[in-house]
Amino acid sequence: MNCRDVEPLLMPYLDAELVDGERVQVEQHLAECGPCAKHAEVSRHNRTLIRTLAKAGSPMAPASLRASVFQGVRTDEARQRQRRSLRLSAAAAGVALCAFAGHSQWRSFQRRLYVEDAASRHARQFPLEVRLPQPEALEAWFDGKLGHRVAVPRFPNAVAAGARVLNVREKQAAYIRYDAPARESARPRQVGLFVFGDTGNDVDVGARAEPDLRNSNGYNVVSWRDGDLVYQLVTDLSEDDLRELLPPEPRELRAAPALAAPARPALDVQPASYRP
Amino acid sequence: MLGFSKSDRTRAEFEALVAPWLDTLYAGALRLTRNERDAEDLVQDTVMRAYRFFDKFERGTNFRAWLFKILTNTFINGYRRQVKERSLGDESERQSVEAQFFSADTTDQAQNPEDYLLQRVMSEDVLAAIDTLPIDFRMVVILADLQEFSYKEIADILDVPVGTVMSRLFRGRRQLEKVLRAKEAVQGEAPLVDLNAYRERKKLA
Repeated sequence: MNCRDVEPLLMPYLDAELVDGERVQVEQHLAECGPCAKHAEVSRHNRTLIRTLAKAGSPMAPASLRASVFQGVRTDEARQRQRRSLRLSAAAAGVALCAFAGHSQWRSFQRRLYVEDAASRHARQFPLEVRLPQPEALEAWFDGKLGHRVAVPRFPNAVAAGARVLNVREKQAAYIRYDAPARESARPRQVGLFVFGDTGNDVDVGARAEPDLRNSNGYNVVSWRDGDLVYQLVTDLSEDDLRELLPPEPRELRAAPALAAPARPALDVQPASYRP
Repeated sequence: MLGFSKSDRTRAEFEALVAPWLDTLYAGALRLTRNERDAEDLVQDTVMRAYRFFDKFERGTNFRAWLFKILTNTFINGYRRQVKERSLGDESERQSVEAQFFSADTTDQAQNPEDYLLQRVMSEDVLAAIDTLPIDFRMVVILADLQEFSYKEIADILDVPVGTVMSRLFRGRRQLEKVLRAKEAVQGEAPLVDLNAYRERKKLA
């Protein structure tokens, strides 16, 4: 190793950064080369002097810093904790929001179940409690049996067969059965109408003002609301027959109305008689 | 407020680990910021950040080096801009400078061996000389000569290769000696004059 090789190694050598092989080579050269040995000695002296003086001259941490530095940690920690708890409450709010969204999903699902239940109860053909063809007589029979007054609608193309009290889900309803006359060779069809109170808006009758037509278990279910009362009409009539049955403005039953939505359901659900 | 005892224990452990290094941290911070007020703030911020990241510190590893990594990072990210520190150009310029100086500077130095720095140099002179160094050199000199970190530790703290540490340290020390020697030359004359005057007065007396 010559002077040129040693030069760049001198500083790491003095800093004790050389691995054994290089260190030994540098030491060998320094032992043989006077100028390099002298240079190394000067460098070592200056390095030591600078280090010693720099350290000796460095002031200690002021008492004010010593006193405040961990207090700062404490304050910061409290702030962090507060921020964490804020984040936590944000998370809790998120959970609550999800729960709320979940709940409203659940609720809208529940609201749609009335259609299913009305269809399946109609299908089971529960025996009628009373067999009377006149709507007025049926209204009289229902009087006092339910929490609400029952208006029995009249349909031009169907005749009431009778009625009973029958639940739709948890709601006690008036159930009125109508017989639609046989068309051509087909057998007579039955129409069931549930009338029940729904002050809590628990039943989905569609967002539009006109009656809502849905299909459930092979039955067409028409739902509409009139004040606090919900009407659910269940039938295995086809949509076309249903229009014949409900003639006033049968077009209104279309799912996608071409006409402007009427302010009131076009079905004639006015009470057959009025008994204040 | 739950889990208070746990965080209290962690904090006690943290404070016990940091306390012995407060003077060292402050000494380093003072050379970086070059004023006492900023140095105190820098140490305060460093300790605060260190506590925040304390769970990331691997127990049993070099805590002092870990603290200084946070100190230099905090300084670079916050105080350096604020202090309007002049840095060494961009990275490419810096590398070419570093590539050249070994050949040029070392031969230059080999031909003209430097003299001893006189014992007359004072601590304040050395610290003031360190403060004149450009920040990249200053950081390496502070870490090597004031804090006595190894090249490897400095490379880890500053996130640069060991070769870069060596070249910056070499240049930083050379410039440091140059500044001190210039200072010495100015100071060297004054006492001599005074001494002669003193002798003259002695003779007269």
